[in-house]
Amino acid sequence: MKKEDTVKLISAEGFEFVVDKEAAMVSQTIHNMLTSPGSFSERQHGEVTFPEISTTILEKICQYFYWHLQFARLYWEQPITLTCNSDVIEFPPTTEWVMGLP
Amino acid sequence: MIYVSDSPGKMSTQKKRAFQIEAFKHRVVVDPKYAEKTWKVLEHAIHEIYNHNASGLSFEELYRNAYNMVLHKFGEKLYTGLVTTMTAHLKEISQSIESAQGEIFLDELNRKWVDHNKALQMIRDILMYMDRTFIPSNHKTPVHELGLNLWRDVVIHSSKTQARLLDTLLELVLRERNGEVINRGLMRNIIKMLMDLGLPVYQHDFEKHFLDVSANFYCCESQKFIETCDCGDYLKKAERRLNEELERVSHYLDPRSESKITNVVEKEMIESHMHTLVHMENSGLVSMLVDDKYEDLQRMYNLFRRVPAGLTIVKEVMTSFIRDTGKQLIMDPERLRDPVDFVQRLLDLKDKYDKVITMSFNNDKTFQNALNSSFEYFINLNARSPEFISLFVDDKLRRGLKGVGEEDVEIVLDKVMMLFRYLQEKDVFEKYYKQHLAKRLLSGKTISDDAERSLIVKLKTECGYQFTSKLEGMFTDMKTSHDTMQGFYAGQGTELGDGPTLSVQVLTTGSWPTQPSPPCNLPQEILGVCDKFRTYYLGTHNGRRLSWQTNMGTADLKATFGKGQKHELNVSTYQMCVLMLFNNVEQLTCKEIEQATAIPMSDLRRCLQSLACVKGKNVLRKEPMSKDIAEDDAFFFNDKFTSKFFKVKIGTVVAQRESEPENLETRQRVEEDRKPQIEAAIVRIMKSRRTLDHNNIVAEVTKQLQSRFLPNPVVIKKRIESLIEREFLERDKVDRKLYRYLA
Repeated sequence: MKKEDTVKLISAEGFEFVVDKEAAMVSQTIHNMLTSPGSFSERQHGEVTFPEISTTILEKICQYFYWHLQFARLYWEQPITLTCNSDVIEFPPTTEWVMGLP
Repeated sequence: MIYVSDSPGKMSTQKKRAFQIEAFKHRVVVDPKYAEKTWKVLEHAIHEIYNHNASGLSFEELYRNAYNMVLHKFGEKLYTGLVTTMTAHLKEISQSIESAQGEIFLDELNRKWVDHNKALQMIRDILMYMDRTFIPSNHKTPVHELGLNLWRDVVIHSSKTQARLLDTLLELVLRERNGEVINRGLMRNIIKMLMDLGLPVYQHDFEKHFLDVSANFYCCESQKFIETCDCGDYLKKAERRLNEELERVSHYLDPRSESKITNVVEKEMIESHMHTLVHMENSGLVSMLVDDKYEDLQRMYNLFRRVPAGLTIVKEVMTSFIRDTGKQLIMDPERLRDPVDFVQRLLDLKDKYDKVITMSFNNDKTFQNALNSSFEYFINLNARSPEFISLFVDDKLRRGLKGVGEEDVEIVLDKVMMLFRYLQEKDVFEKYYKQHLAKRLLSGKTISDDAERSLIVKLKTECGYQFTSKLEGMFTDMKTSHDTMQGFYAGQGTELGDGPTLSVQVLTTGSWPTQPSPPCNLPQEILGVCDKFRTYYLGTHNGRRLSWQTNMGTADLKATFGKGQKHELNVSTYQMCVLMLFNNVEQLTCKEIEQATAIPMSDLRRCLQSLACVKGKNVLRKEPMSKDIAEDDAFFFNDKFTSKFFKVKIGTVVAQRESEPENLETRQRVEEDRKPQIEAAIVRIMKSRRTLDHNNIVAEVTKQLQSRFLPNPVVIKKRIESLIEREFLERDKVDRKLYRYLA
């Protein structure tokens, strides 16, 4: 994978997630960061630090990016279930997971 | 890479915990200077952005700060701060633009505009949260629009820049109009900027003035051109200007300006001068028409089409010119001497204008109509037009369209039909056509049966069955006669021996334009075979009557002259009768010939004249030698006759234009023929309407008959009176203008 096709997302605790730019740009804000003219430091270095986002959340966010890339379109068309590798996959985090957050 | 690996389904199998839902924790801002500090960070960032120094900034940090400010209800502070900071920067920019000298002014403006746009984009991105939440709910102007508005108010509408920008732009346009090359790219960018700032800015700050200045420019220029150029040149220049403006719009103006600026050019360069242009002496419309200047005419059409009433003027001038030309042609006594040439000239005239309309006037229907009405107007000015058109056809069908193919014959006939369509007195044409056709058929002079029939079909489609039924009857008679003659010779050929060969054409009374004339005394040799034919014919057809039309026939004679030279003489029946007399006698006076043949004196004179007085064809010798025939003149068989041809045609019956008295006679006959037609029309109309007033009858009758002729209202009135006398109609007892139909 080429470096320019990826971006490094860094959590509050300093965990680094290297994800595809395409995936990261699912977020409109990250999209703006990486494309705004005049090159902010994020665009120059290919990394974004989120001092207010914990690792757990950022991980889930990254999962969401990929889920969104792969399934979002289908999900909105058929909101009930999705079949992928014979596993049923839904993204929206379960209540349990949400409640487990600090 | 991170993959979604654990299925949420598994979670539900885990041991359930009791959840407690807590209220969302707002982070309490403890620092009272929080807002001020955060804004400072953002303000600094905006400065850096305008200074092209953004690479050290963290988007995430700025976004987060702006987000937090809005979240913590400092949106208003953020917004006003933005307005203030941006305004300050723009003021700086404005000053630097104002201080730009001369040429670089526009460059500077353009560069700063590009910078501002870029900065605006970045600022909007970091303030996206405010743009999405705070601005709509507080009804503020979105960041991007705000940036444009500030640019407009601070930079463009600054007292120094506003006028200077307009002047610079107009100056560039003027220079381009004067043939200089300008930086169109820069021009396009600046105009684009004005359009980005909103349509009103473009219109008020540029377009309005641009149009005014253009109007002024073209007003002066057109005045100059009109004084120095001829019409063709002027139109070329106007066309070039128009194209230049179109090109200008496509290169650097708003497409919506196109119609406005072309309107200006059209109005100043064409509309204001169109009368002068059309009537320009030696180069205006009339000269173009005379000289067949198709390109100039086309240019005129295309330009004049753009302005209201432009084409109307062109059309009117063309129409009146065609009418004048046609009138001259039709009234010129020189032309009237040669009907064929006369009609050919009409056709040439029509061809010429057809070509002009096709090549230059885009086949415009209204122009075609104008052309047609002009022709209709002047053709009917001359009462002899129908006769001449028929003579033209006669000439073509008799002498042949030498060396031309069938298609070309059709073309000529179609053209004749077109002239025919213009005729008001179609019945007069029919009358002449019938006469001419009869002569052609009887003398066997027609070159092509197909062409004859094709013309009849055309007349039929044009005027209906009634019009041509008699003409078709003539063809049928010719065919039947041919068959009859074959039958006659097949049955009696042997009995006839080697006497003269007879060819009889049996003409149905009514179909042919025959004038009753007493038969002349045929020579004995002919009489015999004639009687045989009569017997044969009446034997096969019951209840018919045959009478000989000796004034219409022709004969071929074999003659041997003094030195034994033999010739075949092609003569009329009358001439044949005269010549046969000389088989037995040497000398005869005119009077004696008349007594012997019973040919009417006027016809006899004519036939003797062509036998004795035409050089090269004088098979008779006359004493005394003079042109005129007197009753006591003596005639001899001319033994010394010579001719280089074996066949000698004498006094062919070529249809010629009628002499004045003949013409009057035909007129009278036509008038006579019209009477029953008018009466029939009146009766038809009254039968369906029962009562009608005088004016309406005249109108209806005219309408019904106009496909054949234009009835004269006075004649219609006379016919009505005649019908009243004969008790077909009566006047209403109360209203004397009203007529009633009496069943």
